[in-house]
Amino acid sequence: MRRTGSGQRALLAVFALLATSPAWADVEFYQSVDRAEVGLDDTFRLTVVVADAPPSAQVQLPSPSDFEVLSSSRSSQRSIQLSGGGPAVIQDITKHVLILRPLKLGKLTIPPAVLSTAGRSYRTESIRMTVRPGRLGPDPGQATRPPLPDPFRNFPGRPSLEEELGEDDPVIPRGDSDLFLRASLDRNEVYLGEQATLSLYIYSRVDLSSVDAVTMPKLEGFWSEDVESPTQLSGEQRILNGIPYRAYLLRRRAIFPVKAGTLAITPAEADITTGFLFAGHRVHRVSNALKLKVKPLPPGAPPGMASANVGSWQLSVDATPTRVELGQPITVKVTLEGTGNVKNVTPPKLTAPSALKVYDPTTADRLTPNKHRIQGRRMQEYLVMPQRTGTFTLPALEFPYFDPRSREYDVARTDPITITVEAGAGGVAAAGPTGTPLQDSANEQKNVLTAGGLRPLRYQARFVAPSTPLWQRAFFLPALLAPVGLLFGAMVVGQVRGRLFAQTEAGRKRQQAKAARKRLAAAEKRVGEGSTSAFYAEVEKAVMGFLEARLQIPVVGLTREALGEKMAAAGVAPERRSKVLFVLEACDMGRFGGGAELSERNRILDQAEAVMEGWEK
Amino acid sequence: MSAITAMLVTTLLAQGGYYTPEEAQALFTQANEAYAREDYAAAREGYEKLIAHGQGGPDVLYNLGTTYLAQGELGRAVLSLERAWKQGGRAPDLEANLALARARQVDKVEGATLEEDFLTRLVKATPGTAVGWVFLGAWVAGFGLLLLFRLLTPGRRTWAAVLAGLALTVALPSGALLGAHVWVAQTVHEAVVLSPTLVAREFPKGEARALFEVHAGLKVRLLEETGRYVRIRLPNGLEGWTEREGVAEI
Repeated sequence: MRRTGSGQRALLAVFALLATSPAWADVEFYQSVDRAEVGLDDTFRLTVVVADAPPSAQVQLPSPSDFEVLSSSRSSQRSIQLSGGGPAVIQDITKHVLILRPLKLGKLTIPPAVLSTAGRSYRTESIRMTVRPGRLGPDPGQATRPPLPDPFRNFPGRPSLEEELGEDDPVIPRGDSDLFLRASLDRNEVYLGEQATLSLYIYSRVDLSSVDAVTMPKLEGFWSEDVESPTQLSGEQRILNGIPYRAYLLRRRAIFPVKAGTLAITPAEADITTGFLFAGHRVHRVSNALKLKVKPLPPGAPPGMASANVGSWQLSVDATPTRVELGQPITVKVTLEGTGNVKNVTPPKLTAPSALKVYDPTTADRLTPNKHRIQGRRMQEYLVMPQRTGTFTLPALEFPYFDPRSREYDVARTDPITITVEAGAGGVAAAGPTGTPLQDSANEQKNVLTAGGLRPLRYQARFVAPSTPLWQRAFFLPALLAPVGLLFGAMVVGQVRGRLFAQTEAGRKRQQAKAARKRLAAAEKRVGEGSTSAFYAEVEKAVMGFLEARLQIPVVGLTREALGEKMAAAGVAPERRSKVLFVLEACDMGRFGGGAELSERNRILDQAEAVMEGWEK
Repeated sequence: MSAITAMLVTTLLAQGGYYTPEEAQALFTQANEAYAREDYAAAREGYEKLIAHGQGGPDVLYNLGTTYLAQGELGRAVLSLERAWKQGGRAPDLEANLALARARQVDKVEGATLEEDFLTRLVKATPGTAVGWVFLGAWVAGFGLLLLFRLLTPGRRTWAAVLAGLALTVALPSGALLGAHVWVAQTVHEAVVLSPTLVAREFPKGEARALFEVHAGLKVRLLEETGRYVRIRLPNGLEGWTEREGVAEI
């Protein structure tokens, strides 16, 4: 056995092992920023790199007083480099990434970081930063990280990143950066009547317990519809400016501007409770205000188009049934379906021939939002009652609208519908003697009118209360008895007055005069009769009686001269005296043969009446 | 002050009903539209509201009867149409619907149909209100002219006597006709069977022997009433006692 030989091989093996062992590099320690000039509202990335440090090394990151540290993260990697048969080079690299934001303007300094190992410490260089007002560049996350392809980009029902967050990422507010409310629009510019989607999110880095009293923005100038209104808080991870947040959707609402111009959306507000149980803490947050530019619809709109007709629409008409009996109703549904403000569009009004009576429609809406876009259908259901038999056509309908995607006007149309109204059961069909349909010269269907059946309602009414019979009304009996009573009363009064007058001289005088007038009236009746002497005797008696009543002396037996003197003594006017004497003379002559003619009798009668009339005057 | 307020309220109530004419017309139109869409319950409710608040009349009663008829309630249909007829709404459409209702009745009255007496037929053929007004006018005019005759001097009042005679000549027969109306109104009570089936009994007792059955829509005459029973007479003279709630007077 040769022990020496084996010892040499072992030594060679040790050397070979040493020769092929990895080579450890020297410690590298430095820090860098992604940009040297930032805005006051910007955030930037500070990276501290430690390479090949011993495991026991401790890194003390810079804590600059002029900057706010929004987040910090640490990552490690080991690289092994093999080169042409030489030893492998192993390098351990640890990166500390800090997201910083300046707190003031000017030239600021980021102090050096310190690496402490056993018995030795390393220091990086300090970094000079220039801070200007506002924002100068993109956020570090966007500036440095290439956008990753979204594996769910084409997955149906999943909103795109732009739709979720709007065109810009939320700006982390200066205060309350751990918990803030953010309102966003999916677009900054829309056409009048086109949908924009307003989303309200809570961004939080703390645990949330509940959200109370959410006050949505005042949406003046908009028609709005709820798209999403979660009842439970459900967060998802979001990275804002490199800072991980949990984003909770509070409300998502579709808004349709109803006027052109730049419309303002006021901030939303919410009361948010963080923590749990006894550690709960309630805070109030106000979101950002928004503005939306609303462009008017381009010129060239079809005449009569409403400004709300914006979107993409299909129009359809359905009539059921199309063949009915007279008196049976037809249901006609006009449906407008598509994307847009479903509840603010008006389907075209159904028109029909006069033989079809169209009643006011009922409207039903069904919203089926898809990818936060309002879409659905609006259906108007008409009741159509045929008024006579025949074949009628419901004309085609048109719905003009503006499509904001193609930026063009379009018209949705329907086809005409033919309705056939037949005679009802029991009706007499318009058939000829042979039983085949009768074709008249105009080739029109006859209007078949059937006898019998229920008569229609009365469409004009005279509204009256239930009438009481005339004889039961309050006025009837008094009206019936009053005339009888009045007549009876007048007769009684006349009788009483007559008796009272008869008891006085004047009364007697008046009675006598009245009797004389009656006698004259009796003579008047005899004027046409045969006896001339009787007529004149009656007239003479009447005149004498009248004179006795008026002169208050007996006048029978007096000569005409004596009578004339008595009248003169009583103050009777000479003209009247002569008239009286003339009538008495005429009566004397008539009684003894003269004045037999009818005209003469009438003349004497008139003279006698003239004597009596106006005596008192 | 309260008396004045009460008077004002009374005056206002007397001037205007429960509905203004416009409201009544609107309700009437609504009821008609409900009928057109075959919502008979709503139509009936509208008409009955009008009638209940004194805004009825033959037109409303006709529409109510037609609605009942369309709904198949024969008893109330006949009742409403008969009431419309009685209130002077005689027209071809009313006659047609009434004939249709009678044709749908279950009962067919057979046997010698009792002829209505002359006065009843005369009264049915003449409008009571018009007769009443003619009589009253002629009566008042006649006596007014007689009174005037007394006031006028002899020889100048003959015309008054002639006109009074004429007026009283008209008043006499119209008064007699009015008396007939009053007599018929007081003595003749017609009713319509409302119950789908109504049993007529020998005596006004539930356990009395059943004589016959009548059904909704049949027109009968009420002869007397005792307790909750009325004695009815059919057009062919058949008589029996039946429950009061089963019939409604026209």
